[in-house]
Formats: sequence, structure tokens, C-alpha cells
Amino acid sequence: MPRARSDRASLGSALLWLGPSLLLIFGVVLYPAVELVRASFSRFSITGLRLGDAGTRNYQAVLEHPLLGTVLRNTLVWVVAVVTLTLVLSLGVAQFLTKDFWGRKVVRWAVIVPWAASLVITAKTFVMIYDYYYGTLNLLLSKLGLGPVDFLGSSTWILPSMVLVGVFVSIPFTAYVFVAGLHAIPQEVYEAAHVDGASPFQTWWRITLPLLRPAVLVAAVLNIIYVFNSFPIIYVLNDRNPGFTHDTTITFMYKLAFKSAEKDVGMSAAAGVFNVVLILLVVLVYLRFTRWREQTR
Amino acid sequence: MTSRHTTAARALALTVATGLALAACGGGTGAGTTPGAGGAGAATGKVSKIKLVAAEYSKDNTAAFWKKFAETYKAKTGVDLEVQIVSWDTIDQTSSTMIQNNNAPDILNLNAYASYAKDGLLYSADEVLPASAKSDLLDAFVKSGTYNGKLYGFPDLSSARAFFYNKAIFAKAGISAPPRTWAEFETDAKKIRDLGDGSIGYGLPLGPEESQGEFSMWLFNNGGNWKENGAWAINSPKNVETLQFLRKLTDEKVTQNNPGKTNRADAFNLFKSGKVGMVVGFSPLAGQLDQEKKVDYGVAPMPTQLAQPQTFGVTDYLMAFKKDGNQEAVKAFYDLYYQKDQVNEFIKAEGFLPVTKSGLQFFATDPKLKVYLDTLPNAHLTPTDDPGWDKVKLAVQQNLGSAVGSGGDPKAVLDALQKQAQSGS
Repeated sequence: MPRARSDRASLGSALLWLGPSLLLIFGVVLYPAVELVRASFSRFSITGLRLGDAGTRNYQAVLEHPLLGTVLRNTLVWVVAVVTLTLVLSLGVAQFLTKDFWGRKVVRWAVIVPWAASLVITAKTFVMIYDYYYGTLNLLLSKLGLGPVDFLGSSTWILPSMVLVGVFVSIPFTAYVFVAGLHAIPQEVYEAAHVDGASPFQTWWRITLPLLRPAVLVAAVLNIIYVFNSFPIIYVLNDRNPGFTHDTTITFMYKLAFKSAEKDVGMSAAAGVFNVVLILLVVLVYLRFTRWREQTR
Repeated sequence: MTSRHTTAARALALTVATGLALAACGGGTGAGTTPGAGGAGAATGKVSKIKLVAAEYSKDNTAAFWKKFAETYKAKTGVDLEVQIVSWDTIDQTSSTMIQNNNAPDILNLNAYASYAKDGLLYSADEVLPASAKSDLLDAFVKSGTYNGKLYGFPDLSSARAFFYNKAIFAKAGISAPPRTWAEFETDAKKIRDLGDGSIGYGLPLGPEESQGEFSMWLFNNGGNWKENGAWAINSPKNVETLQFLRKLTDEKVTQNNPGKTNRADAFNLFKSGKVGMVVGFSPLAGQLDQEKKVDYGVAPMPTQLAQPQTFGVTDYLMAFKKDGNQEAVKAFYDLYYQKDQVNEFIKAEGFLPVTKSGLQFFATDPKLKVYLDTLPNAHLTPTDDPGWDKVKLAVQQNLGSAVGSGGDPKAVLDALQKQAQSGS
């Protein structure tokens, strides 16, 4: 019998290699997703006990929720404001970090810190900065005769206050994506521009920015997802405010399950399904809009 | 160029993955089938291990007590007691997820029980509570732990609110004694406000953490209640009057800034830092004040509109879940917990109040607790025996604060809560 030495691995050994990733995907992604959808079609007691099938009632309840409009508007403002500000500021930070200067290493490390710290701890720290009576920021403002300002309790200030923290924690990752992008731009292009007599602004506008575009796209997509799904910042900074007036869809979903008078796991699961659909739609529209394929090819 | 292509594909895959995974985590999973089908009598075999999920009252004492308790329990019964301590912030989420996944603990420590009893998940006292322990419980707590004629919610500890005042601020404002009536209270609060040194007359926490507790203390002292003659009375004239009074305090700026958005912990912090003249506190606050020794404070009965000051009591529960074969082990657990040296040591360490008649004697020698103990047997409780309260409480927490916010209308807020309560139960 001729030994058919094939390059193809046997099914067994292929599974052996793929097994861990497959397990991870099934366990961490697919199984929870299936359970989420199942829960969204179930009727639950306030204790968490499944009482039976709910049909589409949970979905209707979410759509008919009187504050859904407010929550969606908050989410839109939150995502757009945080992502835009993060991208703009990170561009500046990245430019700065790629320049050669004394102590650059230290600065680079310092920029990573907000990224490395736990979001809950960062959020709690900012509560201490913003607090009406003890906040360091308010102590400063009072000294200047401008304060105190109720950053966390006033309807005007709470969202900007949260956005600032959102930007603060998003900058490190984004800036480092841009640093990598800037390093990938060949030095020759700049030399050519210099020879042709381009001004610094022209160089930046016509060379750096276009060549950085793939990095900007990646950073934008990832940030939209992270920021949309951000839970701790809003949950911690907003915990003194009753109701849903300053919640985004993610904290809305959590409160529906455990904190609000609805206290309904099924309804919360339905809101969760909406969240997934929403973020997918947003990202697809964004990619379509920026013609992702051509840009990154 | 393929490398860029894979980046794109990877980013997309990540989109889907993170989206789904995060949504799934947040939404809670599981769709367990109805547990507890076995019922009380249908015990098949005996368990060698039971699980307790306990709320964390304090970092220092809770875990230490239960660890020692578990050792004593094991030595006595031969059954292992697995203890999981959960913070108050997340215990609702933990318990709900456990029950969804058909994985309820044997014993759960929580501030509510009636919904669980209604769902048929719990053992009643007849099944697992030794008669001697039951007869020792204070009547007020037996009443609040009884659903549909049976005792399901076994109290683990209790607390009663009292009126705390800062003696230094009182002296500065020329107030000689703590106020006894609402009118006196309002006058004193204004005196403190008028000191003009940033002192706050009254710390009023109507934020989502515990606004039902703060409001309870005031409404009981106006002769109001949450339910009257078995029906919801949230928007009764007395209660509307009470909330209007709290609104008036806010408008007169004798409270801290934005009371509708102040949580209890924040109000306590203000009192502990000596900024606030008066606050409604309870024994653990006294414990912290004694430890920090920063504020010279006094404790008095609550200012009232009635002939006698009323107090608001709170108890938490240790409820037992029906599971095959665990009945005897659970009964042994309660038998041990309600031993005088166990339950009262726990309560003493945590700085709370007793739930048993023998406990009242145990603590009677402590002069600091006298102000609470005298009122405890007659304390008013929230209607925890009504499963509807479990949702009403959340609605109150999320909405009451808006009544004292800008443009808030106390009557409209209470009317809405009343409507919600009536439609829910």
C-alpha cells in the first residue's frame, strides 16, 4: 500500500491545534450570545427565576420605555463626543511622542498610566476630583472665586464631566496606535516634501494625515466600540443621579436588570440584543461611509 | 498588503466579538428551569456541604465571623459550610444570576425575601427554624418576615435610625437642646445655615442609594405609612405633607447642595467631617464617629409631629432555599446561628442591633445603645412582607429625589409611585 503522505493534517491533529481557540470562542462568545437571546424571549420573576416564555414582550417593553429616547440621545452624544475628542487630542499627543526630546521615555510611560489603571478606580478618583464639597477641582475653583460647581449632580455638567474622563482613558491606546502609524510613514516622503519646499503645515496636511488615515480608521472603529460599551465610568460618576436621565444604553441595560423598578432580566436581555445590533449597525455604516476596503488595502 | 487586509478582518471580528460578549455579560445569562421541585419532604439523601451567600456589612468583621462560624458548624454537624461574602453593591446581581442558572445557594443573606417566598423557593420556619429560635425572635421582625401566614424571612440583625447632631455646631449656633418637633428642627437648621461659615443645617440624602429609608424616618414621624389597612398609601395626605416639608428644607437651603442627588454615604461623610449640624444616622455611623473621634456628637430621638417620637427599623434576612437533601443541614445552621453567643457576637462586631428577646438583654448593659434599644420593639418597618415592596422600593429609590430637585413636585412624584405600586401588585 502506497503511503499517501499528504500535507494536510488529520482532522484530529487539526482539532488539537484549533481546540483551545474554538473552545474560547464557543464559551466566551457564542454560548453567552445564545443565552442572551434565549433570556430575551423569557419571562423572569424579580428574583431571577424563569417563569416561562415571553414572546416579544420584552422587546416591546424596551421600545416603549418612556426614557429610551433620552438614553439613546445620551449614548449618541457620549460616543460622538468622546471618540472625536479622543482622536483629535491623540493626534497631538502622538506627534509629540514621536519627537525626540529629553525625558521622552518618561512621558511615554506616563501616557500609558490611565490605560493601565482599572476603570473603576479611575472613575472613583474622578469622583473625588469632581465632588461638590471635597473635590480637588472645586477647591481650586473656589480659591479662584469660580466655584464650587456641582459637576456630578447638575444636569448641565454631568455629561461633559463624564466625557472628559472617557477621553482621558481613551487617549493612551489611541495615541499609541497613531505613534505606530507615524513610524510607518517612510522618511523619504518627508525629504521629498522638504526638497519641494513644502511648509510644515502643508507637509502635515498633505502627507502625514493622508498616510495616517488607515491608523485613524482603525482607532476610530475600535474607539467607537469601546466607548459605546463603556460601563464603569458612567456607572460610577452617575451613581448619585436617580432614574435614567444620564444613562447610556449600556448602563440602562444593567439598571433594567438589577437596579431599577423594572428589575427584569428578560427586558434587560432584550435591551442587550438591541445594543449588539446597534453597535454592529453603527460600525458597518461607519466603515461603509469611510470606504474601509479601499482605504486599508 | 495582505497584512493590512487581515487587520481589517480582525477589527471586524473584534467588533462582533466584543459587542456580543459585553452585551452578554451585562445582560446576564441563563434561563434555568424552575428549581425547588423537590420540595421539603422529598429529601433524597443528605448533603455533605451547604453554601451561604452573605452580605458584607464590614470589611473587618463579616468574613471573620462567618469563617469562624463555618468551623464551629463543621465541628458540630460534620457538614461543610461554604461561605461566599458579597458586597451590597453587587449582591442583587449575584443572587439573581445564581437563581437564573438554577444554582441558588442554600442560605442567602439579603434585605428582601418576600419575592423569593412568592416564587416558592424558600423553606418556611416550620420546616427549618428550631422552635426555640422562633419563639426568641422579636415580634416586630416575625411580623415583617411573614409572608402569606408563614415565616420565611429570618432576621439576621437589625438597625434603628436615630437623630445625630453635632454638639460643636449646636453650641456655635446657640442651640441648647436637640429639637423635638419639626418646627424646632426647622428653626435650628436655619440657625446653623445662618452661621455663614459653610455649615450645613441638615444632611438630607434622597439620592438613589437609600432614599426610602430617609423618607420612612420622616413619614413615620408625621403619622404616615407606606401601606395602610393592607393597601398602598404612598400618596396619602400625610406623606405628601412630609415630602413637601423636605422640599421646603431644600428650598430654604438648610440642607446640603442637591439633596435629591446625595447618597446616604455622602451625607454621612459630610457629618463625619463636621460640616453638617444634623443627620439621621444609625449605630454603625456612631461606631465610625467613635473611632475617628473627630466630631463631638449627640444622639437623640427623631423630631416628630406626633406626641411620641417614632423610629424606623430595618432588618435583613437569612432565607433558606429548598433543595434536595439540605433541610437538616439548613436547620442545623439556624440552630447554631441563633445561639446567644453566635448571633449577638455577630451583631456586636458589626455594630448593629439584636433581633431576639435574649439579644435585647445581651445588649441592655451597653449605655450607648439605650437610645436605639428602647425604641426597637416598637420600630416601624417598611412592608418587606409584601413582594410588591421589592419593586416599589426600587421605584422610590430611583424617583423620590426628583421631588426636591428643580421643578420637582412632591405630590406628583408620590402619585406616580402610588400608581406604580398599585399596578405592580
